[in-house]
Amino acid sequence: MERTEFKSHISEQLNRNLEDLFNQVLEMGGLVERQLEDAVKAVQSGDVNLAKEVLQLDKVINKEEMEIDRLCARVLARQQPTASDLRLIIIAIRIAVDLERMGDEVVKAAKLVIKMADYDINCLDLPGYTSLIEITTCANTMLKTVLNAFARLDLSDLMSVIEDEERMDDSLSAATDEVLAGFKESHFAPECLLEMVYSLRASERVTDHAANIAESIIYLVEGRDVRNIDPERLSEFLSNLD
Amino acid sequence: MSEKNISVALDRDHRSLSLQDEKVAMEVKDWNLYYGSKQALKEVNMIVPEHRVTAFIGPSGCGKSTLLRCFNRMNDLIDIVSVEGEMTLHGDDIYAREMNVASLRRRVGMVFQKPNPFPKTIYENVAYGLRLQGINDKSVLDETVEWALKGAGLWDEAKDRLNENALGMSGGQQQRLCIARAIAIKPEVLLLDEPTSALDPISTLAIEELIFELKKDFTIMIVTHNMQQAARVSDYTAFMYMGELIEYTDTDSLFTNPSQKRTEDYITGRYG
Repeated sequence: MERTEFKSHISEQLNRNLEDLFNQVLEMGGLVERQLEDAVKAVQSGDVNLAKEVLQLDKVINKEEMEIDRLCARVLARQQPTASDLRLIIIAIRIAVDLERMGDEVVKAAKLVIKMADYDINCLDLPGYTSLIEITTCANTMLKTVLNAFARLDLSDLMSVIEDEERMDDSLSAATDEVLAGFKESHFAPECLLEMVYSLRASERVTDHAANIAESIIYLVEGRDVRNIDPERLSEFLSNLD
Repeated sequence: MSEKNISVALDRDHRSLSLQDEKVAMEVKDWNLYYGSKQALKEVNMIVPEHRVTAFIGPSGCGKSTLLRCFNRMNDLIDIVSVEGEMTLHGDDIYAREMNVASLRRRVGMVFQKPNPFPKTIYENVAYGLRLQGINDKSVLDETVEWALKGAGLWDEAKDRLNENALGMSGGQQQRLCIARAIAIKPEVLLLDEPTSALDPISTLAIEELIFELKKDFTIMIVTHNMQQAARVSDYTAFMYMGELIEYTDTDSLFTNPSQKRTEDYITGRYG
């Protein structure tokens, strides 16, 4: 499937609306990417102002979701899309929900930075810090991969997203154990450690949403709903595509 | 990052249109129409915005075609019709005694449900209105015929057969020819009465795309039984029921969130 197929309708209006939809989803994804990058930097540097910008950006991302819904409602009500056009509308709504949730989750890391500043604690001294950076950075890589796949309607890199998501599940359990040990062994206040647990879980949730987006793109391109199938079968499915 | 920097991302072109912001091409005030003693249009008030497509939808007998025919006084041809109220075209009272109906119909052109080309050549069909106006200069006619056929999206198919009989064209081509004939005299307003109901789906899409293009030059009103067509082609939609204008608003709002229960019931197919 090629992007140009969405520009080849007799109706120029439909071509324009679908192109707008592509661009808007990519733009929203770009904002979440920026949010993830800023969150990592803020956690690393303890920059409270940067953390506040992450919160600010979340509001913009929420508005983007509403814009995408609006555009989808318009196309559904006015242009009666079918087949791949209809799938594009369905997944644009789904991807917008995933991106919006990602934005909410990234906010947790920013809140960690703000809260630790109040306690005068450097995030990098907290147990779980290394995993938080690892998971959040990986989430951003996954997001870039799925956005590229969506922009080019190319599924070839999506397997790495599914694998990364599994890997980050494991990282989260290891990191949670580390922080739990910190409750007994470290001098940090329990609310600081809890805040770290929330951030870790939230960053791992971001990777789940990236994997959801990968599944949506597979549905768009192949017309096959691959949600809830196990990773081995999904891997087999993806490797059998030409 | 500043608020301003962020907000650039949300500067969208997907805002709904609003009648308040439009230039007025035609205006209808307290309009009533009777067939004998039976009232067919009741207190209709509306403005028709310039360079926009306005669609009329509603069940059979709701008065949408009757209203459309008021805009170029086609109802004058029916003896038992009487009207009350005011209707203006760019400020001119079109029912005023001094209004010349032939010149009104030059300003407000019409295309009907069934393609009705004259049994003449393609060229003469398009040139017909100009000849009626006494224009016989070949270069003017050539230029206008080409312009109108291009405007109607028919030039590529017709340019090598301008001297063939128009009745040899397909239904979709004939309808586009009728549109070319209507726009050749450069009316201000174009009335389309079910222009695609006799056509196949692809010819229909071609005409719909044409309507979208034509609004750059003309104000367009369309009556259609096909609600989805109204949704696809129009900027504004009027829903009529039993002679009344129930709801008239931008097409986005009407098809995503109508304000009247009767509109909602009709467009969702819940009408009894």
